[in-house]
Amino acid sequence: MIDSAMTETDIQLMFCGSAGDGTIAVGDIFKRAMAEAGFKVLAFDIYPPEIRGFGKCISRVRVTSRQAYSLKHQSDILVSLNDSYAIPHVSEVRDFGGVLYDQAPISAMAEGEHISGHLQPGQLPYGVSMREVSDQTTGGSKAKNIVALGFLAGLYDMQREPFHQIIRDKFKHKDPIISESNLLAFDTAYDEGVSTFRLDFIELGTPERQDIGSKVQMMTGNAAVVRGCLDAGLETFFGYPITPATSIMEDLATDLPMRGGRLLQTEDEISAIAATIGAGYAGARAATATSGPGLALMVEMLGLGVMAEVPSVIFCSQRGGPSTGMPTKTEQSDLHLAVFGGAGDAQRIVLAPTNVEGAYKCAGKAFEMAERYQTPVIVLLDLYLSNRYETVILPRQNPFEADSSKKRSHQERGVPYHRFSFTDDNVSPRTVPGEEGGIHTVTGLEHNELGRPNDQPDMHLKMSEKRHNKLLGALDHPGITIQKRFGDEGKVDVGILGWGSTFGEILEAMLVAQDEGISCSAMKVVMLSPLPLQPVQEFFSDCREILIPELNYEGQFANLVGSAISKPFTRLNRVPGVPMRVADILDEIRRLAAQVKSAA
Amino acid sequence: MGNLRQPVYLEEKLEQVRESGRLNIRSKALPTWCPGCGYFSIVDGVTMAINQLQINQKDVTVVSGIGCASRFPFFLDTYGFHTLHGRTLPVATGIKVANDDLTVLAIGGDGDAFAIGGAHIPHAARRNVDITYMVFDNGIYGLTKGQTSPTSVLGFTTSTSPYQNQDRPLNPLLMMLSYDASWIGQSYAGDPRHLSEMITQAIAHRGFSYLHILSPCVTFDKTSKTYSNLKAQVRNLPDDHDSSDRMAAIGYSMDVDTPPIGLFYKESRPTLSDKLDLIVDKARGRNARASG
Repeated sequence: MIDSAMTETDIQLMFCGSAGDGTIAVGDIFKRAMAEAGFKVLAFDIYPPEIRGFGKCISRVRVTSRQAYSLKHQSDILVSLNDSYAIPHVSEVRDFGGVLYDQAPISAMAEGEHISGHLQPGQLPYGVSMREVSDQTTGGSKAKNIVALGFLAGLYDMQREPFHQIIRDKFKHKDPIISESNLLAFDTAYDEGVSTFRLDFIELGTPERQDIGSKVQMMTGNAAVVRGCLDAGLETFFGYPITPATSIMEDLATDLPMRGGRLLQTEDEISAIAATIGAGYAGARAATATSGPGLALMVEMLGLGVMAEVPSVIFCSQRGGPSTGMPTKTEQSDLHLAVFGGAGDAQRIVLAPTNVEGAYKCAGKAFEMAERYQTPVIVLLDLYLSNRYETVILPRQNPFEADSSKKRSHQERGVPYHRFSFTDDNVSPRTVPGEEGGIHTVTGLEHNELGRPNDQPDMHLKMSEKRHNKLLGALDHPGITIQKRFGDEGKVDVGILGWGSTFGEILEAMLVAQDEGISCSAMKVVMLSPLPLQPVQEFFSDCREILIPELNYEGQFANLVGSAISKPFTRLNRVPGVPMRVADILDEIRRLAAQVKSAA
Repeated sequence: MGNLRQPVYLEEKLEQVRESGRLNIRSKALPTWCPGCGYFSIVDGVTMAINQLQINQKDVTVVSGIGCASRFPFFLDTYGFHTLHGRTLPVATGIKVANDDLTVLAIGGDGDAFAIGGAHIPHAARRNVDITYMVFDNGIYGLTKGQTSPTSVLGFTTSTSPYQNQDRPLNPLLMMLSYDASWIGQSYAGDPRHLSEMITQAIAHRGFSYLHILSPCVTFDKTSKTYSNLKAQVRNLPDDHDSSDRMAAIGYSMDVDTPPIGLFYKESRPTLSDKLDLIVDKARGRNARASG
């Protein structure tokens, strides 16, 4: 009993097939069933940019009892729904892991085309009659994926009920016969799985059900952004479709009007940000979502938002660049654009969440900050974070302020209104159109306290100071972690500094390195602008060696940090279009640790 | 000699203007335009219209782009947003989407509207955003000191067309008629009475109103769209023009040599806000069904 209670679950499954095989769909049922059963899930799908055709689809799902930070490089089981696509991924199955395939796919298959011939020594073959069982139970071969899933569930003695529930849910809008036949396919394969001898040692264990006053849900980064927007009371959204940000607009198109909000698909990204800033000027909580190419179009308007001190929230999910780049591949190469993009000295707030829960937080807090500091706030995501699923714990109580704007005091209402008055915290009380006694004009021109054009040197200096210094308040904004250190405390040999979605891989690598006895810690920086310089400096002085891994060629975050800190550090840059390998980070940690040891 | 008009003395006139209250709608800022610029009469027309329609100044927001015309918001005592070159309409759309109660005036010049901002016009028009878009067309870039614009006439000589403009000018009214704007009119800065009447109608229209205002640039255009040339060319639309007849309006819009002024076309249809409200109703209906 004690042993089973202590069993820590950590398995990763990989479903691989062709577009049309239901690869992503079966991955989806699996992860939902696991989340329903109470496990923690982290999942990421890869599919081709083309809509039709025979592109390769991969769905990876990691199931754990404690929340994992990233996917593992090696999976425990590979489920092949298309052998020619799955064969190159056999090497990603760990030793004594299993490969599940259709043992009798189609009659005419040349030798060598079947995956069973490609297994490596130590990998376990599970041939299943996928097509046959699918035909028998549903009258067609479309349910092959469900058969594979059923077999898998039976093999590992997983509870049937969560799977049944998710399958029923999946087909609830279709003819009940479809749901019934798919359940039959699942159960038939499940029974076959149970009676099959299991060769490896995966133990799934029983998840612990926690009740900590919060709701556990499974969602993608983009879905978390949507939830954050809705919980923060988003009123208007303007957007233009672009991968991988589109699903934010799609979900809001359904959900925002239910709460009385308004969404408009604009003619381009320039109008999306322009309307967002217009709505912000008029006093509404407003947002847009885009990717790098769209953000490139938006930067002129961002400058106006900075100059005219108008709140707006911009979600940017990065993909491979430059230019159109790699629309369905992940990358972290829009940092320069987000932090610096635009004409003039136009500092703005940039937040980069590191996981799905962080995406929710940053999304909601972005509205508070935009209002409080009267500025554009960019929330920088990437394709990996936008599309990956995680089980998250969302607070039951809405954690966001409904109105964070600085308003005129009672006395101030009596005197002529100066929109850009100089104040202690550099934030001027703001009025919005329709408000009595608050009439003013804002402009992209440099201006005086009234908002009238003014290009005198002393005015430009004072206003520049105002615009920059007011953002320092954001470093102490309540309710959001803008940087955090993990791992060993105090002085360490190796420190890993990271940002965005790659921080998951960094944490996983750090944990392994700690297990190996390396003295190391990792720091995530969530607020990229203004940069929380002091804790970063402290981290630098605590670590003998610093490693900055990121998914871009130029080392954009390293450049940002390096411009403020003179101490040397090591860059680790990768541009594979997929998440960074934990092993690559680990190798570099080991190398740096050895360097420290040999120097000592 | 009995039909001689009574003389009006300046002081009496001033008193009349003061009493009308429309001076209050002007801001204290001194306009940056050249003496004789047609835009002065447009400011006058707008204040008269706001006054006549009895709209509270705090409920008016004037949005503009970049250019001489776009300096407009500074000279009114209303809420104003002087935005970026060409982006008047999307900013105005955002403001209107955020707050239906505001009277939103969008203002720009011919370059702001039809060169850099051209992509936004059809969409504001087809969505029928309830704003009034006034384009002050002088056929030249004035703020940058006299370059060719998309409405400069063929053969016009400027600093960027020293060998004369070789491109045919755009026909904004014809564009607006095909873009489905729900109110389309033209006026002339040299006829303040007509101008203020047209501005009043345009603001009163519920939906996207487009008012094209011919206005001379007295500093950089001495030959083409001058007061004397425009005065000779401009004529009133015939009294019997049916403003619901789009084909007839298209015919008049093509008369660029003797531009007709007046109301070209008008139709009543749901505004963007009406449609967004409908979407909210539909979403809530679906939601009610789903949870019911």
